[in-house]
Parts: sequence; C-alpha cells; structure tokens
Amino acid sequence: MNCFVFRNNTVERFFPKGYLFSGYDDISVIPSEADGYVWFYQAPLRPDISAAVEELDGYLPKLEFVLSSIPSDKTLIALTMDLYWSTPLTDDDYRLQEAVAGYNAALLERRKDSPNLKVLDISDFTSNYPKEAILDWKYYFISQMGLNPKLSGDFLSWWQRKLDGIALKRKKCIVLDLDNTLWGGVLGEDGISGIKIGGDYPGKAFSFFQKSLLELSRAGVILAVCSKNNEEEVYEAWEKNPYLILRKEHFSTWRINWTDKATNLKSMAEELNIGLDSFVFVDDNPSERELVRQLLPMVAVPDFPSQPYGLPTFFNQILSDYFKVYSVTEEDRNKVAQYKANAARRQSRQAFSDFGAFLTSLELHLTVEPINEFNITRVAQMTQKTNQFNLTTKRYTESDIRKMADEGMRIWCLSVSDRFGDDGITGVAILDGDTIDSFLLSCRILGKGIETAFLKSVLSELRKNGCSSVNADYCPTSKNRQVAEFYDQNGFSCSAEYPDGKKTYVLDLQDADLHIAEYYDIQIIGYGR
Amino acid sequence: MEDKVKEILMNLFELEFVDETCSQETCEKWDSMGQLNLVVELETEFDITLEPEEIGEMKSYGDIIRILQAKIQ
Repeated sequence: MNCFVFRNNTVERFFPKGYLFSGYDDISVIPSEADGYVWFYQAPLRPDISAAVEELDGYLPKLEFVLSSIPSDKTLIALTMDLYWSTPLTDDDYRLQEAVAGYNAALLERRKDSPNLKVLDISDFTSNYPKEAILDWKYYFISQMGLNPKLSGDFLSWWQRKLDGIALKRKKCIVLDLDNTLWGGVLGEDGISGIKIGGDYPGKAFSFFQKSLLELSRAGVILAVCSKNNEEEVYEAWEKNPYLILRKEHFSTWRINWTDKATNLKSMAEELNIGLDSFVFVDDNPSERELVRQLLPMVAVPDFPSQPYGLPTFFNQILSDYFKVYSVTEEDRNKVAQYKANAARRQSRQAFSDFGAFLTSLELHLTVEPINEFNITRVAQMTQKTNQFNLTTKRYTESDIRKMADEGMRIWCLSVSDRFGDDGITGVAILDGDTIDSFLLSCRILGKGIETAFLKSVLSELRKNGCSSVNADYCPTSKNRQVAEFYDQNGFSCSAEYPDGKKTYVLDLQDADLHIAEYYDIQIIGYGR
Repeated sequence: MEDKVKEILMNLFELEFVDETCSQETCEKWDSMGQLNLVVELETEFDITLEPEEIGEMKSYGDIIRILQAKIQ
C-alpha cells in the first residue's frame, strides 16, 4: 500500500513504510497515483481559543476539496478529531469542544455522499491512554508532534486492524463452552434451575455476556457450542430455564459430548464448511484452551477472565481483536438463518433417493445480474473471504471493483433462494473481455449443481455478446483443491499447465453445451437492460 | 551501551556498520525525522529523558555516547 496522508502535524512515525505525506496543513499537492488517502488532522494547540476555532473551521473546506480531487474509486480514510488539550478561562466556554464536535459530525455526515469516504474514530485508540501519555509537549515543541511518538507501535497495530476491518476481514464463528462460560456453575451438578444466569451477580454478568453474544450473532457471526455435558440435559436447560438468553435456535451447530474439543472443532468446521482459521474458541478451562492451542494452532484462543465481572471487558477485547469490521452487509446479518436453513436442507435431502427430485423440491430460484450500488460491498467482501470455491482467489477491495467496473469489466452476481430461505448474493463472476478473471461461490450453496448453472448463465451472456471463445484459469491455493477439476468437468480444454499447478483453459463457445437443467428457475438480468 | 547505540543506529538508518565516524554529515537517512526516531529509541531503550538542548547537540555517534554517559552516571 502506497497511501498519501494529509495532516497538520508530524505523523510519519504512525504509519507503515511506504506511506507518503503532505506538507503541514497543505493540500496543494494531491497525487492521483496513490493507492489510497488518509486524512489525519489533529486539534490545533493554541492558547487563544478563538484562533484555534478559526483554524479548525478552515479544515473542512480543505477536506471537501481533497474529496472532490481524488479519483472516486479510491478510498479516503478520515480520522475523527480528539480534544485532549484545551485551556478555556471559564467553565462556560465550550467553543473548542463545539468546533471539534461539529468537525466530527460533518465527517460522518459527509459519508452519505461519498461511498469512498470511511471515517475512523480516533478515540477508539486514544481512549486507552491517559491524557498526559497522549501529548508530550517536548515532542510538540521540537518536532510538531500532536501525538506522543512513543505511542506509534500501538497505533500501527491499531491501524492495521482497522485496515483489515475496512477490507471486511474477520473471524466467522465463535465456539463457546457452557459451564462457567455462558453461565455460572456446572449444569450436571447444579441442575437446570441451579446454574447462575440472570438475577443477581454473578448471574447478571453471564446475562450481560449472553446478550453481547446475541448482538454479535445479529451482525452475522456464527455462534456454536462445544461442551462436555449430557446433550439431553442441555436441551432441557435451553428449553426450561427462563433466564437463558441464548438457546438452541441461536446456535448454528453444537457438540455436546465427551469427545476431545479439538476433534469436535474439526467436525464443526467441516459441517459449517468454513476453515478452522475462521474460528474463535472460548472456554473458561485453561487445559481445554491449551489443548486447542497445541492441536489446532490456526484457531484463535483468547484467555478467559478469572472473574465473571471481567466478561464485558473480555467481550470488547475479542470483538476488536477478531470480529469488528468497518461495516456489515445484509447478507452478514442473515447468515445465522442461512446456516440453520442449510441444516434443514441437509435433512430434507435424505428423504429423496433421486438427486433431481431433491433439487426440484427445493424450488431453487437463481438471479444473475450485473454489479450495482447495492451489491458492490458484498461482491468485494466475497472476493476477500471466499477460499474454497474460488478458481483464482484474487482479492479485491470495493475500490478495486469500482475501478474494474468503470474500465468495462463485466461483473456478475448470483443470488439464490429456495423454499427454506434466501441466501442473498453467493456467487461472483468477473469477466475481463473474453477471460474469466474470477469465479467464486460461497460454500454454503454448494451441492446443488448451482455452480454449473451460474457458469453457463454467464457464458450464454458472453455468447450473446458475440464472443466465440472464452479463456479461464485455475490458480491452486492451499484451500481451493475442490475446484481443481471444475473447468474440466464443464467442457473446457486445458491449454497449459505450469509447474506451480496453475492451469489455463479455453472453451469454444459456438459448440459449447450451455443448456441448464430445468431444476433451476433462472432469471438473467443482462448488462444494458 | 556502545553496542546498543550502534545497533539502534544501524536499524534506524539502514547501515551496514557504525563506527566513531558516524554522524549527520556521513549518514544520508539521519535527517530531522531520523533524529526524532533516534531520540524516541534512545529514551525507550535506556529509560531516560533527553532534554531539547541535548537533542540539539546530538549530531554524531560520539555526541550520543558523551550525552548518554553523562545521563546514566
């Protein structure tokens, strides 16, 4: 990343190598070739408050100018302003506070008109430190630093986490123990009404934790349970204990047995069709945590608080370490329901002996449409997160996607629904002329032949546009082995194979069989229609 | 202490080696931003506070050693 930072104080130490910087409060140079932009203005440090307010009021028009000057397909990350030095002579003098609040409100408001503007709250970082640690006047006077240079290491880690959040990278699933984790006490000993949940402390603290987790699942994080207990007893507790917030319907899957937890985690990863590196494992028992750390080093295993009153802080920590992203899409919010619907589909499948009859019974509706303002965030997110059914595994940001669309590349989105529910957008195909740049599907819709139907729909559109043949690549990764033969299975001929495992393919569209089986009700919304 | 200072200078200014001749004159990356980074590194490593006057005088490897020795004793 080669970002350009607009700033009014010395901030070089706070950003990764390769970033470039404006002059102090200088917007006369706005390089168009930067990969992205950062706006980091700090509150003016002046004894004269009216002068400080006047200076501060001058920042927004400059930001406005920068926003209108940079390419609209590139992101500008603006940091809010924090006030940690102010010397009003009277207690009723709020001029500087008001100016800072107005500046921050304007930043937030401005996002509505500029989707490429992302605003990060600087106090999310600075609130971890006392005032005197944030500003060191010696460094202000000798180097014009508005932020103590000794915080740069912490700031860099914070910055990296926030960039990951903007790229929508996060863990997908949190696996929870039950006894002394989701409630106080031991179910097998204390009984369904004896466990501590709700009411007074410590039950109150566990309720707070359960409510926090419920909110997390509403933002699309999958909740699962892994507990050494009797399954029947847990079902009874979920059904009958009136104080429990999280019950059976909130968990996408569970392993309540006496098998070791590493084995259980592996089987849950398989069932949910997500990698173990997307798991966070929460357990009050240090030996269980150690076992998982040793056997499954890719699973994140945070330490658990020793006292129930530590749970809110603990929750906040795992939220910011593993789950916080810049924004969540509608699909994220529906994810929990989708994983549940998948379980229902799996059961339904067992009732049919004929696969075709099963597919027909699902009443599958597929919509293939070009990218638009409503689905672009989701498309970028899918390129970032899809590992298994992904032919080339190219990662794109929303800005990249915008740019590619502007350059005339055709970006197709697939949405799927059936009688059990709506999966939303679960497939993306990116065509650069007559070459398939990217082709990927979410794993949760696999096993229904949808991948072939989607491929054929996209190829039919290509043929309609007069293309006589299409090129495609398969680039192997450690996770996408399942699609190594995908193009072979769909009639493509392999034209070259490289030592690193990459394969290139070509398909003659004139002779290709693009007929799609009748199990699928397909609607294709073409470009320019 | 000398070895630690040399290590800091090598890392900060991307030098192959550091000896008594190392100074702002001979070292391309030792500019004002480099000076700031150097001060933060020295203060953190030796748990000291350098005064602006001392920072102003610190223009070579020899200066650093002289100022640090006076501080630490």
